[in-house]
Amino acid sequence: MDMPVAKKKLGLKERYALMTRGLDWQTTYQPMDKVFPFAKYEGIKIHDWDKWEDPFRLTMDAYWKYQAEKEKKLYAIIDAFAQNNGHLGVTDARYVNTLKLFLNGISPLEYMAHRGFAHVGRAFPGVGTRVACLMQSLDEIRHSQTQIHSMSNYNKYYNGMHSFPKMLQRVWYMSVPRSFFDDAVTAGPFEFMIAVGFSFEYVLTNLLFVPFVSGAAYNGDMGAMTFGFSAQSDEARHMTLGLEVIKFVLEQDPDNLPIVQRWIDKWTWRGYRVLTLVAMMMDYMLPKRVMSWKEAWEVYFEQNGGALFKDLARYGIRPPKWLDQIEFDKDHISHQAWSTLYQYGGASNFHTWMPSDEEMDWLSAKYPNTFDKFYRPRFEHWRDEQKKGNRFYNMTLPMLCQTCQIPMIFTEPGDPTQTCYRESTHKGMKYHFCSDGCKEIFDHEPEKYKQSWLPVHQIYQGNCFNPGVDPTAEGFKPLPVVLDYYGVGFGRDNLDFEGSEDQKNFAAWRGAATTNV
Amino acid sequence: MSFALTIEPLGQMLTVEEGQTILEAALRAGIYLPHACCHGLCATCKVQVSDGEVDHGEASNFALMDYERDEGKCLACCAIPQSDVTIEADIEEEPDARNLPVHDYAGSVARIDNLTPTIKGVWLDLDRPMDFQAGQYINLRIPGESAPRAFSIASDPRDGSRIELNIRHVPGGRATTWVHQQLAQGERVQLSGPYGRFFVRESSHEAQQLSYLFLAGGSGLSSPRSMILDLLARGCTRQITLVNGAREAAELYHHDEFEALADAHPNFTYVPALSAEPEDSGWRGARGFVHDAAKAHFDNDFREHKAYLCGPPLMIDACITTLMQGRLFERDIYTEKFISAADAQQARSPLFKRI
Ligand SMILES: Cc1cc2nc3c(=O)[nH]c(=O)nc-3n(C[C@H](O)[C@H](O)[C@H](O)COP(=O)(O)OP(=O)(O)OC[C@H]3O[C@@H](n4cnc5c(N)ncnc54)[C@H](O)[C@@H]3O)c2cc1C
Ligand code: FES
Ligand SMILES: [Fe+2]
Ligand SMILES: [Fe+2]
Repeated sequence: MDMPVAKKKLGLKERYALMTRGLDWQTTYQPMDKVFPFAKYEGIKIHDWDKWEDPFRLTMDAYWKYQAEKEKKLYAIIDAFAQNNGHLGVTDARYVNTLKLFLNGISPLEYMAHRGFAHVGRAFPGVGTRVACLMQSLDEIRHSQTQIHSMSNYNKYYNGMHSFPKMLQRVWYMSVPRSFFDDAVTAGPFEFMIAVGFSFEYVLTNLLFVPFVSGAAYNGDMGAMTFGFSAQSDEARHMTLGLEVIKFVLEQDPDNLPIVQRWIDKWTWRGYRVLTLVAMMMDYMLPKRVMSWKEAWEVYFEQNGGALFKDLARYGIRPPKWLDQIEFDKDHISHQAWSTLYQYGGASNFHTWMPSDEEMDWLSAKYPNTFDKFYRPRFEHWRDEQKKGNRFYNMTLPMLCQTCQIPMIFTEPGDPTQTCYRESTHKGMKYHFCSDGCKEIFDHEPEKYKQSWLPVHQIYQGNCFNPGVDPTAEGFKPLPVVLDYYGVGFGRDNLDFEGSEDQKNFAAWRGAATTNV
Repeated sequence: MSFALTIEPLGQMLTVEEGQTILEAALRAGIYLPHACCHGLCATCKVQVSDGEVDHGEASNFALMDYERDEGKCLACCAIPQSDVTIEADIEEEPDARNLPVHDYAGSVARIDNLTPTIKGVWLDLDRPMDFQAGQYINLRIPGESAPRAFSIASDPRDGSRIELNIRHVPGGRATTWVHQQLAQGERVQLSGPYGRFFVRESSHEAQQLSYLFLAGGSGLSSPRSMILDLLARGCTRQITLVNGAREAAELYHHDEFEALADAHPNFTYVPALSAEPEDSGWRGARGFVHDAAKAHFDNDFREHKAYLCGPPLMIDACITTLMQGRLFERDIYTEKFISAADAQQARSPLFKRI
């Protein structure tokens, strides 16, 4: 009798290859270039798609099962949080403003990431890359959903979270995160992957998620903390994809190097500018601080990123441009951003406030060379004015940078007393920038960035009023109608935290929860 | 108590010390398992336990679900074996690995000679022959030292009874000083082996028609020598190039042997390179470091090769950069770093896995 021969078990890699490779074919009715129309125009040369190494070997079947289970756990925690009035357990109601920032500015970007990966996945002729993009696209839509669900409980009790999709499109400072992602999804597929897959998901992601998730944990928000953990178990896969993309592209052809280098320069700078909002959140908005922006930058970018760029140097990649300026600015941007949002507190969709004495001391300790010298005097002045009943609201609309769309609030490299302005002329029109980085990005692609939808320009052009508004009418006041158009309730969703409905309600509810009246 | 860990699909067996995680043990043994956070959060290191018991340690409930625990999954970065364990990991199968078992051996010094002013040749007669793959190393016990020291086998694997080691003297190093100043013919030695995953990937060379490139620095000639002797003896017909770096002519060893091999085998090229040879010495070969000599020899184009790098960490680093700039990448680069206690572990990014 024959002995059964033990068949050698296939390795995971081989098994995965059998399930995912060879799914595509050479088209015959239409040329391949027509089927994949975006694959070549960026100048990236790919000779052998089979050299793509699957960054994560997960089948759809295993994926569903795993994510479904994760979701079950997450929703159980969210439900418990809602039922037990978990929102009353946070440090104080100022904390909720970080969630407003997140829900309005970040969660919709998760959705854009979902769209972006779905789109570029379709655009790549390589099947391994397509599958990886598909997986990440699914992760991203889950991230946006779970974030919205986690935070929807807060929407029942607090102001400013009622129409985030509309606000992302309309509210002035929201154009900063929105234009970042619009820029990425309107780029070619390879640029998108370097922009989002590599620069954002790999190089900068820790600077976004760690502050928010640890911020939630430090401030007693179990709901938000849990979605953070649930997302973190996907993040490693995304980071691996980012690394695989850059290796693959650089190894395929030496001509790809300068193109990729330009994208790394551009997207590190673009991402860094968006992170200004996180910097401000970390230093000013968390009642209980996790670490300062400067510390986070040093740990997550300078140390971890330093090791990465040392390894990338082997491909001929150098660290991103303008790092010297970023390094200088790490002592400044959070203070500059908070000053801005404070001044424009009448036009935004969350509350602002001046830090307490204790908080200012923390800032001095974290920024010994800059806070007391450049920012504390201004803040104390504003606080004194507020005490006298003159809470300062700036009613003049700021000039915006054509590229990052942040108001011109940043200072000259090396001189924090001088506002930085740059300009370029393109086809007879002048464009303005906050920095050398933003100017250079524009100069390379003026036809793209001249189309920027700048909220201030749009207001002046009369494009930010609801139908029926007549700006020529006697005594016309623009601010109320613009806020109407934004969907922001003046005085309820914005202005100072002191005296806000959020503040009063939280105090009353917490009082009711902890006393016997 | 330590346990045996078997890693599939490699079939490699290794020892996990008490309290050590599976990931730690694997990495220490030179086996790369995918990992990222190392704290049980990201699930990158998830592996299937196909036999045995583990303690899941700090594994997060989101990274390792209950049903996955029931199915026998674990996170290698947190899992601590409670018995002998077999795991199935997401790593590439190595068709050329022989996965030989490690044993303890005893033997005596048959010969010990100065190969150069800083390198000794040590020939050991083992009491019973050791089966090893060309390129692998042994751990040599040093009298009075608790930790053994690693030395690559420099001789042809077809003779497992007498093995040759090439040992460079590390100034201030306990073990190498002992070898250089005390070890004498006839002395008894204890060692264990064979270790390591530095061997030629012959099946890939054949399948993809790739040439062999060996880059050696100092006593890092040991493994490449064994590999080249083995390849030539088995009638390999692919192109084989050895770039061998030394400071000066007096530091070159086995030089005549390699010249003779190059004469006898048209597919073997020998490129010795000296980095600090006096200008007027009459040396007509390449000058500069190994990576410079390799770059010049191949005109900065290393495609269609697999490269095997052996020697001190700095030399390996420089060679990897040169190879990558000459368009040979991680999948075709294999290294054996001669790390000693002086080489501090540097911060690394996860961009590269093996190199
Ligand atoms: C896989 C492998 C294969 C190898 N093959 C070979 C081979 O074929 N031939 C060969 O010559 N070598 C080889 N080596 C290198 C060899 O193992 C070392 O040179 C040897 O272990 C040194 O031992 P030692 O006791 O002489 O020096 P050690 O005592 O280990 O010290 C080495 C040096 O570090 C200094 N030092 C010690 N402790 C510290 C500390 N904490 N911080 C800073 N400095 C310190 C010492 O003063 C000395 O200069 C190999 C290494 C590996 C890993
Ligand atoms: S390495 Fe992240 S969970 Fe193990
Ligand atoms: Fe995400
Ligand atoms: Fe800008």
